[in-house]
Amino acid sequence: MLICDEYITAETLADAFAAMDRHRGRYRVVAGCTDTLPWAREGRAGDVEIPVLIDVSRIPELNERHVDGKRVRLGAATPVQRFLDDAALGRAMPAMPRCAVWFADDQIRAQATIGGNIVNASPAADVTPCLVAHETTLELATANGKRSLALRDFVLGPGKTALQEGELLTAVTCDALPGYGGSFEKVGHRRSLVISTVCLAVMVKFDAAGRVFEDVRLAIAGVCPMPRRLTEIEQALRGARLSDAKLEEVADMPLDVVQSRTRQEYRRDVVRGFLMRGLINAAKRAGADPAVLPQALEAAYG
Amino acid sequence: MAELSIKATINGRKVARNAKPHQRLLDFLRDDLNLTGNKEGCGAGECGTCSVFIDGVLMKSCLLPVAKAQGTTIETVEGLARGGELSVLQKAFHKAGASQCGYCIPGMVMAATAALRANPYADREEIKERLGGNICRCTGYQKIFDAVELARDVQNGRLPATALLEQEHAEGDFIGKNIRRIDAPGKVSGKLRYAGDMTMPGMLHVQVLRSPHAHARIVSIDTSAAEAMEGVEGVITSADVPGEDGFGVFVHDQPVMARGKVRYVGEAVAAVAAEDPLIARRALSAIKVVYEALPAVFDAETAMQPGAPVLHDYAPDNITKHIPIRVGDVEAGFAASDLVLEENYSTQAIEHAYLEPEAGLSYVDHDGVVTVVSPSQNITHHRHMLAKIIAKPISKVRFIMSPVGGGFGGKEDMIYQGMLALLAMKTDRPVRLVFTREESIATTAKRHPSRTTLRMGFTRDGRILASHLTMICDGGAYGLSTEGVMRKAAILGAGPYAIPNVRIDTYGIYTNNTPSGAFRSFGALQTQFATESTLDMAAERLGLDPFEIRRINAMQDGGTTHTKQKLGKVSLTRVLDALEKGSGWEQGAPAVRGATRGDLGRADVRPPVSLGARFAAEDKQEAAE
Repeated sequence: MLICDEYITAETLADAFAAMDRHRGRYRVVAGCTDTLPWAREGRAGDVEIPVLIDVSRIPELNERHVDGKRVRLGAATPVQRFLDDAALGRAMPAMPRCAVWFADDQIRAQATIGGNIVNASPAADVTPCLVAHETTLELATANGKRSLALRDFVLGPGKTALQEGELLTAVTCDALPGYGGSFEKVGHRRSLVISTVCLAVMVKFDAAGRVFEDVRLAIAGVCPMPRRLTEIEQALRGARLSDAKLEEVADMPLDVVQSRTRQEYRRDVVRGFLMRGLINAAKRAGADPAVLPQALEAAYG
Repeated sequence: MAELSIKATINGRKVARNAKPHQRLLDFLRDDLNLTGNKEGCGAGECGTCSVFIDGVLMKSCLLPVAKAQGTTIETVEGLARGGELSVLQKAFHKAGASQCGYCIPGMVMAATAALRANPYADREEIKERLGGNICRCTGYQKIFDAVELARDVQNGRLPATALLEQEHAEGDFIGKNIRRIDAPGKVSGKLRYAGDMTMPGMLHVQVLRSPHAHARIVSIDTSAAEAMEGVEGVITSADVPGEDGFGVFVHDQPVMARGKVRYVGEAVAAVAAEDPLIARRALSAIKVVYEALPAVFDAETAMQPGAPVLHDYAPDNITKHIPIRVGDVEAGFAASDLVLEENYSTQAIEHAYLEPEAGLSYVDHDGVVTVVSPSQNITHHRHMLAKIIAKPISKVRFIMSPVGGGFGGKEDMIYQGMLALLAMKTDRPVRLVFTREESIATTAKRHPSRTTLRMGFTRDGRILASHLTMICDGGAYGLSTEGVMRKAAILGAGPYAIPNVRIDTYGIYTNNTPSGAFRSFGALQTQFATESTLDMAAERLGLDPFEIRRINAMQDGGTTHTKQKLGKVSLTRVLDALEKGSGWEQGAPAVRGATRGDLGRADVRPPVSLGARFAAEDKQEAAE
């Protein structure tokens, strides 16, 4: 049970900073609350008494959304559901709708925020790997100013971030990747409401003929302390022609990414399958020439 | 505590009320507005029974602090059938038989409503995905999906509204007909009240202090600080039990609350009744219990060894029940066999996971009758046990069975009703206890974990000549239904087969694990797993089709079982025929493939799980481009 003496819904950023200052050392910032409430239960944190909860989900700046051909800027309180509702956003971030559909369930993704997913810094966070693949930068604000920090430098480990006392994550900005094909592969114990055992975000762009990888972005989570890019594989694919042999080659590249506490061998197998399936799915959606799409592999992994 | 002043529009009505800052929207709707169609199944966003629309968007009210309701428009299940007329979806749930225990159903109706609002043409796969945040334990989901498809088609005019009506049938003609459940309207509308939904004026809230130890002597319990707290109306321990303190389905070995020692983690030690659940929880932490840890045993076979820790004085060998059965001479049967197989099998504890966590309400009425309302699966037996426990004549004890939001055997045990009765008597006020999901999982009976050694002898042509089965079950800390489960396991231990020589021993053993008890199939599952697996191995070794080896040994009409039960009609052969046909079975021994593979690509075979049905149209478009 989560117990508080006061629940403050901040209407503005200034309100939020004032409340954080006033209740220094005795508050917790919340947004969607979809992780906080289950955390304060028997078997996890148990009954938790936090004197003040400061809800930032209604602050206008945290709900801004700007999408153009080059950049995307999203307020930190943007619910995950927006990636399914907003077609322009989905085109600019082509793996995100596929990620969102795997995220929790229809109810929770309407409430859970991208900022919450980032700040919680779970190794199994679903949104974070997609954002890592987009070269995301975070806007961190205090009462007195702002700083920018790359997402890859923000998450320091399971539950650990570079967020400082008195600081709020207000927005994320990232590359818009229109014209890319995206996929998100995820496995857990069931279909909905499942924590990733392995998840992989894939975005690819082809040349005009749909045969050569112009760009590839791969990020993985669930198997390592924090989401990370698979840069070796990205490099091996950039400029290469799509073929069965190439996919087999990159899927078999030695990877040291699987650092999970359990079922390492299983996860390594899944990573191999996900690389195949994710690349094939993303290639199809990126408009790859059907003649070069690996038919046999697609039957096996697609 | 800074109270919140909540203003919202709920089911079309303006609501302005104060709320406590730690309340969840679910608490506000249920406790303050009495909208109990919104159920709590898990409190952690996993089950979906609490789903409500906030400004038109479906969310889980157990994950929403009440402050998030400020200024919103909320629609609950109670708002779908305003004026008493069920919505098309609710009627479809009624028609399709989509409600069983009913506890998940208001949430399912809400999720289905959201699904069809989002996509009025959603196909079955998309419906499944959109209902993915809701759990049902009874129906197997198919009827729920049938109902949503029916509602979709009626809404879209593909089917006439009359499709929602009951199929016509002659008086008394029910078999093979679609007969609507008479209790469904109350379930699909959220109107049916389960025990946790019931309230009474002046009602107190109960919380239970539970043992952190698996086995420990209770040196002392000091409840004085808890009793002194404002808002605490009563605290009880085993010292408050006036009569013979013991319950159980067979042996009455379990006290209402731990007496002298605790025997498993989660065992009730004391209980508090207070003005609200938060005060009661705070009072629990003010109760001081001094324990002296005792050696514990967590493995049934270890518990059977000499010198193992003893749980109950009356059972120094830790055996709750041993059921032996002897028919013929198994050794002679093995000697005459062409093939003898011996294998070890184990099964694990399983939780019933009914969507309704345990809950109960108790009061002492104007005639001094101690009344307990709870979803008990065995109220008459509970009534007799409670009369002895509280030392009252049976005429002064009343049990009312509230709607059971799923039981499956898990609600046969009088785990909490005794505490409720004692607190109602002590405080002279109505008292209510609602388990959390975690409490329900940690403290109530599970399916017996088992270890079975099975030796079976066969002739070359597949006849079973002998079966020797020994099963050791972990019964946990108390007897509950263990005796019955061991009996049933032995009775069904030879399977539905005619076997001339049988030796069966089933043992239910005390350990310091969570007690095991009744669960659907009641002991059959564990022994059948062993028998049926061995039959498959024998089929492989003898080159027989698995169906064939079962037909060879099947009990026939008029046969006599190994427990001397004379059978009239035996349906096993018909069941096997239907199963073989329905499964698209490829004939042959398990080690070979048949000539045709009939199990893939058929309309009635489910494809592998995937996600993204809602992208299907988009994908087609991309492919076209």
